[in-house]
Amino acid sequence: MSFLGKIFTWWNGATIGTSLFTMRRGEKVGTDAQGNTYYRSRNKRDMTTAGSYIGAERRWVIYEGANDASRVPPEWHGWLHGSFDDVPESYLPPAKIWETEYVPNATGTADAYRPQGALERGGKRVKAVGDYEAWTPE
Amino acid sequence: MPKVTVDGQEIEVPNGATVLQACELAGKEIPRFCYHERLSIAGNCRMCLVEVKPGPPKPQASCALPATDGQEIRTDTDMVKTAREGVMEFLLINHPLDCPICDQGGECDLQDQSMMYGRGATRYEENKRAVTEKYMGPLIKTIMTRCIHCTRCVRFSEEIAGVDEIGAIYRGEDMQITTYLEQAASHELSANVIDLCPVGALTSRPYAFEARPWELKKTWSIDVSDAVGANIRLDSRGREVMRALPRINDAVNEEWLSDKGRYQVDGLSRRRLDKVYIRKDGKLVPAEWNEAFAAIAAANPKGSIAAVAGDLVDCETMFAAKALLGALGSDHLEGRQTGLDYDCSNLAAVNFNSTFEGIENADAILIVGSQVRWEAALVNVRLRKAAKRGAKIFVVGPQWDTTYPATFLGEDAAVLHDLPQAITEAFSKAERPAVIVGGGGLAKGALHPALAFAEQFNLVREGWNGFNVLHMAASRMGGLMLGYAQKGGIGNIAKAKPNVLISLGADELDYGAFADSLKVYIGHHGDAGAHAADIILPGASYAEKDGTYVNTEGRVQFAEKAVFAPGDAREDWTILRAMADALDVSVGFDSFAELQSAMIAAVPALGEEGLADFGQLPNADASIRASGAISYPIADFYMTNVVARASATMQRCSSELLHHDDLKEAAE
Ligand code: SF4
Ligand code: FES
Repeated sequence: MSFLGKIFTWWNGATIGTSLFTMRRGEKVGTDAQGNTYYRSRNKRDMTTAGSYIGAERRWVIYEGANDASRVPPEWHGWLHGSFDDVPESYLPPAKIWETEYVPNATGTADAYRPQGALERGGKRVKAVGDYEAWTPE
Repeated sequence: MPKVTVDGQEIEVPNGATVLQACELAGKEIPRFCYHERLSIAGNCRMCLVEVKPGPPKPQASCALPATDGQEIRTDTDMVKTAREGVMEFLLINHPLDCPICDQGGECDLQDQSMMYGRGATRYEENKRAVTEKYMGPLIKTIMTRCIHCTRCVRFSEEIAGVDEIGAIYRGEDMQITTYLEQAASHELSANVIDLCPVGALTSRPYAFEARPWELKKTWSIDVSDAVGANIRLDSRGREVMRALPRINDAVNEEWLSDKGRYQVDGLSRRRLDKVYIRKDGKLVPAEWNEAFAAIAAANPKGSIAAVAGDLVDCETMFAAKALLGALGSDHLEGRQTGLDYDCSNLAAVNFNSTFEGIENADAILIVGSQVRWEAALVNVRLRKAAKRGAKIFVVGPQWDTTYPATFLGEDAAVLHDLPQAITEAFSKAERPAVIVGGGGLAKGALHPALAFAEQFNLVREGWNGFNVLHMAASRMGGLMLGYAQKGGIGNIAKAKPNVLISLGADELDYGAFADSLKVYIGHHGDAGAHAADIILPGASYAEKDGTYVNTEGRVQFAEKAVFAPGDAREDWTILRAMADALDVSVGFDSFAELQSAMIAAVPALGEEGLADFGQLPNADASIRASGAISYPIADFYMTNVVARASATMQRCSSELLHHDDLKEAAE
């Protein structure tokens, strides 16, 4: 991404400050299915700096695309929040065939769920006929 | 008239009043479970304890204690308060704590009274008693563990319904209420015990787990399942009528309702007509309103149109149809679908003149061709009261199971011209003699012989009119007042061969007689009428429109609209109004209010709630003679109208209670 692009589309990926910080201090640990990259601090010194007052390792994510926290899938969410010590691949069983792809929260976007009859779906709903039984000549 | 003091307030009470009634007159509320105004006094729940002086220094059951002069009654002392708390605690020893899953929740006397008069906390550690489930038929659901042994249900069956169906077995804490041999309760008023039961022991089976009382919209309506015009309350949620309950009206239904009136409402959401249909090439196909009106106009109805009113329609619909026919230059109106043809020139002769309240006081009653139990179950309750007061009751017609002693005089209607001595004796001695002519009697020409009988025994005297006709259709008296009666009856209309026949929900009619007419059916249920029709216009049922009904006493009553009609269905008068436009005539009203005022202008009696005055009885025409074996028109109590026939509950009652199919398993 171009330098100007970075400045003017701050809602995609990391800001310049975060990129610099990541370059200097970060250590890449992995990427998820959507391409979001996960980092932790390279230096043990960082453990005592701001953001890790409990002495835990500092972990962060740089999104591939929009900065939307719901794009973090559950396994990486656990890692980010310190629930798991190690990266998900190392201990999670391989995905089952019936597991579906993780979908970020679509609320507020064009993909949001619209119930039948919503104006965005044309405002038409089928007739309510379920509460009585109609007579037919046959 | 004894004078008593209630909480320091001195009042005079009627003779024979109890202490409980005295307290009520003084405006004090006395909690009670077993006492009920219309039942005998049992005095077994002890909830109504008060302090009475003079008397033993202990609380007394006020419902069973006569009020006497100079009594000093206290309902607000500490002794009364602790006594009530104690009784409540005893009642709750064995009552399960299952209010969240109990259908009585929200309208339960025990809940309310334990809130008001009970202790704040419980002291129980022992196990509660459990009672085995009983089977009481397709209408009554039992959870007998909840029973508090008030015996209201037992007293109702014995005293009001007059059938020994429900009773108690064992005693003390082990007492259990059951139907004998666990048969289904099968009389026509059985479901009233559900209202009477102060707890959730007897609840409504079709309504089980359907709704809570506070989420229902309550609408005052009139029952149309028979000609009694019982006052009911329709409880609805959304566009569905969930249940019908009786309203209190001492003049009509007291506090009761027949099982049909109560449980046919589930038929309101089945077999509904919700679109216009037109018959094309012998088949009914869905169509538009305009097409239907064009087809009617094309049949050339000017001067050649007839209207037949069904049993459930209101006066407004009938008047709208009459106005339409008038504008088209026709007066072929008829409501007596089955072909009855009695003399309607004087409405006093086809009215229940004694009134339901009055007939209780009759001391000799002759029933001509009416199976009152099925034709008007609530009138039968009144007759039973009269019998208990000593009335002698005679019946002409086939035997049926009366709930009181009655003498059957054979099936032949000709017996009216050759009265047995027992009758002449009883009626010449009687102070308030009465005759009741039913549909079966009218069919055999018994109207004028009965009028002659009334003259012979002087049935109309100072303060008493003993001449009664008992109809079966809710629309009948209203129809007669609006002129829905031809000389010659329905046969006469068939003879006139109208181009267009408008059927206002007439399903009992023989449509074969109108083979050449364009048959337009305006109604709400698909039944015989819809199958025979050439054009079906979907209308509203009694729950879906405002309307005026006149019961067999000539009592004018208004019903309100509870829910909206389904699909494309419209209120009937709007259909007739639109039809008038399509046929290019004017009926003179554009709104329901205008229609009503036009109707009241034409028949003023319909504008006033209460008994209509039909004047003097006509003179009997001695040349008309009754003859032939009487037969009763109702073959199946639970299947008399389209709504009931569509109702799953009524179908189950009919097959289980009348035809004794073994549906017990299926119903569980
Ligand atoms: S079933 Fe209901 S009405 Fe009958 S005795 Fe028990 S509590 Fe009373
Ligand atoms: S109401 Fe008096 S004892 Fe039950």
